[in-house]
Amino acid sequence: MKSRSHITFISILLTACVLNALAHAAPVRRKLAVKAGRIITIAGKDVKNGVILIKDGVIKAVGKEVEIPWDAFVIEAKDRVVMPGFVLAHTSSGLDRANENMPEVPFISTFDSIDPISTFFEDSLRDGVVTMLVLPGNNTLLGGTGTIVKPYGRTVEAMLIKRYTGLKISLRPSQNTSRMGHMQRFRRYMSDLKDYLEDYEQKKADAEEEKKPFDEEIDVTKQPMVDLLNKRLTAFVYCDRAADVSKAIEIKNTHKLDTVLVLGPDCYKAVGLIARSKLPVILDSQLVIWETNEQTNEEEMKVVPMIFHKAGVKFAFQIDTSQYGRRYLWYQAATAVKYGMKRQEALKSITLYPAQFIGVDDRLGSIEAGKEATLIFLTGDPLDAQSWVDQVMVAGEIVYERAKDERLKKLLEPPLIMQEPKDTD
Amino acid sequence: MRNCIILLTFLLFVLAFVAPGRAEIIAVKAGRILTISGEPVENGVILIEDGKIAEIGVGIEIPEGAAVIDAGKSVVMPGLVDASAAAPVRGDLNEQSNEITPTLRISDALDPQSKALKRIVQTGVTTLFVSPGRRNVIGGLGVVVKPTGKIPQQMILKDEAALRVVMDLDSTQGNRIPRYQVPTDFYYRRPGTRMAIIWMLRKSFFDAQQQKDSEQTEDPNLAVLSAVLKDEIPIHVNARRAIVIRAALKVADEYGLKLILQECTEGYKVAGQLAERKIPVVLGPFYYYPGSMGQYREGRKVNWNNAGILSKAGVKVALASGEQAGAIDILTAAIFAVRHGMDRDEALKAITITPAEILGVADRVGSLEKGKDADIVVLSGDPLNVTTRVEKVILNGKTVYKID
Repeated sequence: MKSRSHITFISILLTACVLNALAHAAPVRRKLAVKAGRIITIAGKDVKNGVILIKDGVIKAVGKEVEIPWDAFVIEAKDRVVMPGFVLAHTSSGLDRANENMPEVPFISTFDSIDPISTFFEDSLRDGVVTMLVLPGNNTLLGGTGTIVKPYGRTVEAMLIKRYTGLKISLRPSQNTSRMGHMQRFRRYMSDLKDYLEDYEQKKADAEEEKKPFDEEIDVTKQPMVDLLNKRLTAFVYCDRAADVSKAIEIKNTHKLDTVLVLGPDCYKAVGLIARSKLPVILDSQLVIWETNEQTNEEEMKVVPMIFHKAGVKFAFQIDTSQYGRRYLWYQAATAVKYGMKRQEALKSITLYPAQFIGVDDRLGSIEAGKEATLIFLTGDPLDAQSWVDQVMVAGEIVYERAKDERLKKLLEPPLIMQEPKDTD
Repeated sequence: MRNCIILLTFLLFVLAFVAPGRAEIIAVKAGRILTISGEPVENGVILIEDGKIAEIGVGIEIPEGAAVIDAGKSVVMPGLVDASAAAPVRGDLNEQSNEITPTLRISDALDPQSKALKRIVQTGVTTLFVSPGRRNVIGGLGVVVKPTGKIPQQMILKDEAALRVVMDLDSTQGNRIPRYQVPTDFYYRRPGTRMAIIWMLRKSFFDAQQQKDSEQTEDPNLAVLSAVLKDEIPIHVNARRAIVIRAALKVADEYGLKLILQECTEGYKVAGQLAERKIPVVLGPFYYYPGSMGQYREGRKVNWNNAGILSKAGVKVALASGEQAGAIDILTAAIFAVRHGMDRDEALKAITITPAEILGVADRVGSLEKGKDADIVVLSGDPLNVTTRVEKVILNGKTVYKID
């Protein structure tokens, strides 16, 4: 009897040892303390020579006077600026094809189309964009649902933060249609949907009356639109021109939708309407626009973020992968600061605000106790072109180090310098 | 007595008109003056007389009656020089009737009211080089202009500044031969291959050489090419890929041509050779992934530090907007060149004095020195900061742009 209990005890001890060893083998260190030269918390004031305490990938404390526990692993970042990872609220990059040919496909999802080896994700990580909402492109009326991912992982499942977020509605008429036809198509879809739902409710009521079991489910091809009406999904409405803005607001009011406006470069003309609607806005990647003043015939520079900032509209930026400068979120924010936007507000526009727009601000977007430790370590000020992202931490795990970035080295240094043989003649 | 009065009135009139006509003196005070030619001057003054820089330095006495532009703590630098800008021309830049058109002058088509001109001046550019389009093997003569003046003649700083040659496949584009049809239209006569481009180039210079030796009546086309052969006019050669650059070097060797290479996206591969032969390059437009851009179908490989590698190898590098009206301005190009490894001072030179030297107008523009044109840019901070803004642009001593 006694020996038996001994065996049990020993086996429990052994199991505990094995489990302990496994826990240690995991790459995530349980307790971390980041000692940073400067912490841009976004939530409050910057902290100089502060400490961020992290436990299990979650921030426990931030500040100057944070006591570091004896068992925490300390990351020395005295000469680094640490801030929350940038958040991109809208992109259609990283997909093998961004638009479906059919106009009404709310049931498709970018989850099926995200290509983890796309260089877009690799570049994003290198540029400090650590969270992004990937939505279908701007050519489809009801384009499908989006996926929030981090640009790190070998499969979409590994990259995933949140599935089924946001539904893309584009008000730009697709090829061979007019704006009239485009809007009419949308209205007809909505009225058909309404009929379908009434019919469905009727059937349900009838079944209840007859005390029959009712197991008919809502048509899967319509489900996302139903979720949109129930506010389980947010509508990301793309407005190509200023004239589309009023349509977007009309749709929002008629169907009582949660809406985020995705604007084309020209939409700043509808700034008053947008400000009154109090809707969140995602700006086009082209921030400076030239226009000819018809009265004076002078060329005038329109600075889009300043126009919205002055009107009190909250916005997030987009990036564009081929243009110099415009492919960096920090560059977009710096451009806004250049023309007079407050620095703190500009930094919020690339971190906290986009996190709010895509509904992950409970986890991401600022450095606060309780939020995920998704941080970027910069060699200098985030708005300085000479700063580089040195390290990226996603949920307490270092996933990128510049010193180990082989492709960056190749982009900056030539793979080979070909020496021309001397002419023999 | 009456005559006296008339004379006096007359004299008064003359005085009234002559007095304001006297040389106007403008003094620009700034926290930091980047002269480019020398060390930066802290808390300096620039005196401008007759549109030229009369004096520059610290503690210069400002003459009585001078108009003072107090730039406060701002940074002042010479007006930028864009060695390959979008042409201020209405209409097409490509002459389709012939592929060898050396006598065409872009200066004949300049439009002082052009939108591109009004925009470019707000980015701090005060001197730009423009040339005919890219669809001809030999496109014509380019011109160095300033974005000022009401008629083209007032804009021109240097006419016939360079002859444009396009060795990239751009000059084969626009060849619209329909399938199964006999090419009868003039659109069909373009070169279709690089072999043909180089052959046409060789033939043109060969003819010019022949003509030089014989005493026949001069063909105006050949006259321009002869001037090129005599090194009187430099040639701007569009060459992106290393293979095209090498071909350009070969043709240049055969005819003893003085080259200036444009675009040169794969220049880093032949950096040593370009340095050895002292061939300057004008880089731009800039894209991160040229592969996806139509105009870059050739030269897909991208090297972010092209400018840095070339300048480190000893090549004269100018950063330009590359004829793209919507492209990034050259100040931003310099910022990113530094980010990717170019030396700071070299990058500032690459948008001021180096392009001025390449274009042969360094005696007039490109740096802040006594005697040069008073082309000045006032910046809100360090030029290589993204958050720095162009506050004021002074061109020939006149303020042509300022922010509200």
